[in-house]
Amino acid sequence: MRVNFYATLRTAVGQKTVELSLPDGSSAQALAHEIARRWPALADRVVDAEGGISRRVHFMLGGRNIRWLPEGAATKLAATDVIDVFPPTAGG
Amino acid sequence: MDLQSFGQSMAHVDLGAGDVEIRPAPDEWVRKFIGARGLGVRYVLEAGPDVEALSPENLLCFVNGPLTGSETSMSGRWACVTKSPLTGTVTDSHQGGWAGARLRWAGLDGIIVSGRADSPVYLFVEDGKIELRDASEVWGKGIHETVAFFQKRYGKKNLSVNAIGPAGETLCRFAAWLNEDDRAFGRGGTAAVGGSKNLKAIVIRAGTQKSRDVDADAWKKVRRQALDRIRDEKNITSPKKGGLSVYGTNVLMNVTNSIGALGTRNSQLTSFGERAEAISGEYVEQNILVGDPTCHACPVACKKEVEIKQGPWKGLHMESVEYEPAWALGANCDNDDIASVAKMIDQCNDLGMDPIELGNALSMYMEASEKGWVEGNGLAWGDTLAMIAMTDAIARREGEGDLLAEGPARAAEQLGHPEIAMACKGQAVPAYDPRGLKGMGLGYATSNRGACHLRAYVAAAELGVIDVEVDPLEWQGKGELVKVFQDLHAFSDSLDLCKFSAFAEGADEYAAQYAVARGEPFTADDVMLAGERIYNLERYYNNLAGFGEGSDTLPARFTREASTQAGSKGHVSELDQMLGEYYSVRGWKDAVVPEDKLRQLEIP
Ligand code: SF4
Repeated sequence: MRVNFYATLRTAVGQKTVELSLPDGSSAQALAHEIARRWPALADRVVDAEGGISRRVHFMLGGRNIRWLPEGAATKLAATDVIDVFPPTAGG
Repeated sequence: MDLQSFGQSMAHVDLGAGDVEIRPAPDEWVRKFIGARGLGVRYVLEAGPDVEALSPENLLCFVNGPLTGSETSMSGRWACVTKSPLTGTVTDSHQGGWAGARLRWAGLDGIIVSGRADSPVYLFVEDGKIELRDASEVWGKGIHETVAFFQKRYGKKNLSVNAIGPAGETLCRFAAWLNEDDRAFGRGGTAAVGGSKNLKAIVIRAGTQKSRDVDADAWKKVRRQALDRIRDEKNITSPKKGGLSVYGTNVLMNVTNSIGALGTRNSQLTSFGERAEAISGEYVEQNILVGDPTCHACPVACKKEVEIKQGPWKGLHMESVEYEPAWALGANCDNDDIASVAKMIDQCNDLGMDPIELGNALSMYMEASEKGWVEGNGLAWGDTLAMIAMTDAIARREGEGDLLAEGPARAAEQLGHPEIAMACKGQAVPAYDPRGLKGMGLGYATSNRGACHLRAYVAAAELGVIDVEVDPLEWQGKGELVKVFQDLHAFSDSLDLCKFSAFAEGADEYAAQYAVARGEPFTADDVMLAGERIYNLERYYNNLAGFGEGSDTLPARFTREASTQAGSKGHVSELDQMLGEYYSVRGWKDAVVPEDKLRQLEIP
């Protein structure tokens, strides 16, 4: 699946877009763990102390924050999905 | 400077008579309305809500808050409050930089301007004194040249020049004041009020002053608590680490684009797709960023200074590329050329105009042109050279620019198509599409100064950057949330702290700092009560000025034309349902504050 990183996460990853090969049907939470494994410096920004998706990261699937999708962190991802990953972001 | 005596030194300037008098604000007003925004609205009410905005009788109030210029973080702000020539409502707008702080250090808490000078004048403030001086040499000049002129005359050191440009002089209805070249009283056309009074500038000279009359230990402690929150790495304000600090406000471009909340082509679409990246904070940071300027006492440094390295605007060095103008002049006008966006922001800084209103005027005209509704040459989507030429023409009211200088709402009305103006109460919408961020839409509709993102920045909750986190597409619960944000911001705008303090601080921190600064107890509940009182005072003014039941609206595009883009696809704004909830928690009868509410809140 294609993962786009934004803002300070992009700086840590070093590029905007990364192709990650997770099994079809992996959960959003599994994606968070894969990101933490690939970029250890991001681990505590994407995974919380209980192993869930941290509140300091937002995974957008089809423009929806997975937090608001019915299955939340358990939302299944397809290999063809594009996921946008943001740190908390606001301005004015 | 004495913090506790805030409000004792208000300068009243009658431009017609040439008189200046310094006297205290009524104690009761300071107690009830705090300062800056709240106190300014109370002053403006004195001229009567029926006053013509561009008449000599309208009051133009520049008001500090009790914390302005103090050592507390993000306290470099002051408010310009008046009746708006754009909306006919009371309006207030806030500048960063150092001008407000310098006014405080020079010994004044505010300047209340009335009348009209026979010829162009400026105000010179120093050592507790304020004088009217001749401005004929700078009348007609751009703001950059005006600033340079006064810097040559008075020296750069400790000097702030707050000026209007040609747009204010020609009474463009969205003309803005700017200090230090690029910090604006941006919204509501306050500089047209300056132009109508023949007031070109306020020049202030004052060195830094420390607060003398506070409990030093307590003051240090409450400031430290607030600063710790701002510095906390979990917050977007964290210096050099948080998104706001690293990328500035334009860190938002990609996220609103991703969730289908980035109005595009005059809000006909809700996403700019792949093209948003080219006008985003990330792009700016990687390609054209040269500095991170800040304001008085602010470690966040969210301002973004850029230099254009190629193309027709090569060599342009300016600040600041913010999210709002990058949206208004970018995606909203189908323009993905960041250099042209920087150029137009700099034009706004020099001509003295609000880039949000400008971008909406241009996008409205582009849609009208496409549909064959204009008589002149019209404007094509994303035609940057034509946009830049039109920006100049608007400020000088030349050709088609004269129509657009009226603002998009009036201009669309004159074209016979009011439905293509994306405006509430005559003021154009900012960069959060109400179909993708439902609470922001309710905030636009119920804002007392016309469409505005800063009256109730519920995006902080809808985008998940504060502890309260809500689904942006859910309408239920937004009525109460918007009220809470409106009241909290009304208080911080009256202190006057930067709005972005709310990403790290809350009512507890505001109350603690205000209590020590005033030397009297003040709680978080008092913060919310004072904020509610100020919000209701503004609403009371607007009700008297003719904004009655049914006046809280959104353009039909947001309530009837469903989004077709990912994230918000199929959604419209459920404004009526949200308004029902909102009026119920406000205790209002539709858009009107009832008598018992006024009495309960001690208004006026
Ligand atoms: S956060 Fe930005 S706008 Fe606010 S005071 Fe700091 S530098 Fe100025």
